[in-house]
Amino acid sequence: MKGFIICIGNRFMSEDMSGLLVHDRLRARASLPAGVEVIEGGLAGLNLLPLLERGGRVVFVDAVRGFTGPDEIVVLDARQIRGAKSPVHFDHGAGLPYLLAVLPAVCEGELPEEIFLLGLEGRCSPPTLERAARLSLAIAAYGMKGLG
Amino acid sequence: MVKTAKEINIPLNRAEGDLEIRVEVENGIITEAWSAGTMYRGFEAMMQGRGALDGLVMTPRVCGICSITHLTAAVEALDAIAGITPPDNARRLRNLALMIETMQSDVRQTILMFMVDFANRDAYHDHPLGQEAAARYAPLAGRAALEVIRESKRLIQALAIIGGQWPHTSFMVPGGVTSIPEISKILQCRIIVERFSSWYEQSILGCSLARWQAVRSADDLDAWLDENPAHRASEVGFFIRFARQAGLDRLGKGPNRFLSYGGYPLPLSTAVPGVGGRLAAAGCAQGTVIFPFEATEITEDICHSWYEQGTGPLHPFAGKTKPYASGQSGQLYSWVKAPRYGGEAVETGPLAEMVIDGNPLFQDLVSRSGANVLARELARFVRPAGLLTPMMTWLEELVAKREDSFYDPVKTIPDGQGAGMIEAARGALGHWVKIQDEKIAHYQIITPTSWNGSPRDKDGVRGAWEEALIGTPIRDINHPVEAGHVVRSFDPCLVCAVHCLQKGEHKGTLPIGLNR
Repeated sequence: MKGFIICIGNRFMSEDMSGLLVHDRLRARASLPAGVEVIEGGLAGLNLLPLLERGGRVVFVDAVRGFTGPDEIVVLDARQIRGAKSPVHFDHGAGLPYLLAVLPAVCEGELPEEIFLLGLEGRCSPPTLERAARLSLAIAAYGMKGLG
Repeated sequence: MVKTAKEINIPLNRAEGDLEIRVEVENGIITEAWSAGTMYRGFEAMMQGRGALDGLVMTPRVCGICSITHLTAAVEALDAIAGITPPDNARRLRNLALMIETMQSDVRQTILMFMVDFANRDAYHDHPLGQEAAARYAPLAGRAALEVIRESKRLIQALAIIGGQWPHTSFMVPGGVTSIPEISKILQCRIIVERFSSWYEQSILGCSLARWQAVRSADDLDAWLDENPAHRASEVGFFIRFARQAGLDRLGKGPNRFLSYGGYPLPLSTAVPGVGGRLAAAGCAQGTVIFPFEATEITEDICHSWYEQGTGPLHPFAGKTKPYASGQSGQLYSWVKAPRYGGEAVETGPLAEMVIDGNPLFQDLVSRSGANVLARELARFVRPAGLLTPMMTWLEELVAKREDSFYDPVKTIPDGQGAGMIEAARGALGHWVKIQDEKIAHYQIITPTSWNGSPRDKDGVRGAWEEALIGTPIRDINHPVEAGHVVRSFDPCLVCAVHCLQKGEHKGTLPIGLNR
């Protein structure tokens, strides 16, 4: 199964940059596992939709708040992402819950078979970012089984 | 009995928390308003000392919605410093990219951010069109709400072709563009734009672009509505009918002064007509009386902003951004500066563009009853009607002139200063840049939301939407949808700040934020 790692966040806001720091670490690797693609999703919001119409397994990497302790990692599946916050309204800050809620209704390609969020809580240390990078690759390649 | 409620935070839904609006309400009418940007961005300080070209990579990441927009302003500032005019093909590609981003923003903002409030059953349970509005615009379920997402997302494919990648393209560089699409790719862009145009005509307008462009007055608009059931049933037709019955043509006047930097520099050789080398004229206007644009008239006042106070308002080439958030408690209330044109507060955005460019329909609407929520949002909704035809022409010209230049080499950026002033989706956007020893010595950005959402200035004059809120009737203080309509008609741009997933509901006083 193809795997897409989509790193999102704001590179210029320290509370929201962890996903992109993981992106930079993934990009710096000499090679990626076969079938795994890494994307800097940034702040694209609804414009990430075309990236979710290619089937496969999608792993978002992003900052989260209130799920675990600082400098720790949490992995959520699509149901848990949608349940974390009311996704009802689209606005300039529409996030993953809205994206995933609207996806089935507007998808014109192939829906992802699996969607995960690898969440980084608070400001993360380099070892945590590196661990997140490794985990994102494992999940993209093998799903939850990749966590061992 | 006079009821006075002082300093109420307008409790809108969709909280983000970086914009707070306080109002005073007397007898159900807003009599005072303060708009406070509550987050310091510090972008200007972040840019200093970086490489001359870094603005091309950094500023597109200012905003997730307006990435191409900031890239365009950044590259135009560098073009000005380098003293270069990009080749015609570069102009065409740059314009096309910005137009695509603008059109996408126009239809999404109108339906997903503005008209979604028509589906608010608490506010509009007794509106004759309330039930139909819910069927069209209810979040995640409304027919039009889903359709606009489906149709507008396809435009990204054209941006990916033009920009060579998506997201985060930096294909614009001083001297032109770095991506030269193959003919087959340009044709693919044309198909995407044609498809969007067909949908826009059928669903949004309910008529052809040409028929809409023939609507030249308020009377024409009434005749257009009555002419054909498809017009009334279209999203524009429904918007007008609902908005009139909700009294939106009587809300949100604002300062009655307008500013536009003028949209889209024309290629030197093109079949697209324009004014003063641009597709849409630059200028300022008092009501519908238009004056030439003078860039030197722009200043930033910080008398009510949380910055180190200086000697007075400064032009953005001389502007300073030193945060200072203590002292003068009460007088300082926003992280947003107060841009002024000729010392006066102005409104910028699609309505300003239409008035200053001489669009007869919007000049007539404004001359009859001044700016208002209906006219402002209608201008946003129908702006693509004026963009699609030039887009098709430029795509055809690109096919015909594919072998012409897309880039004139610029080896280094010399010492100097330059400004990139463009029309973004929300109005006038400027980047003012100084380069010294190939590094950024100075960077000031004034966004449309800074113009529209500014605090008071040294004379105590309110910013545009502060002024527009004055006189707004509030039927139910617990559901102040009227105030929401006024502010949303300016489309305050969220800062793109912290959008991380947060456990549980995040309640705040406002749904909207500022982009600086």
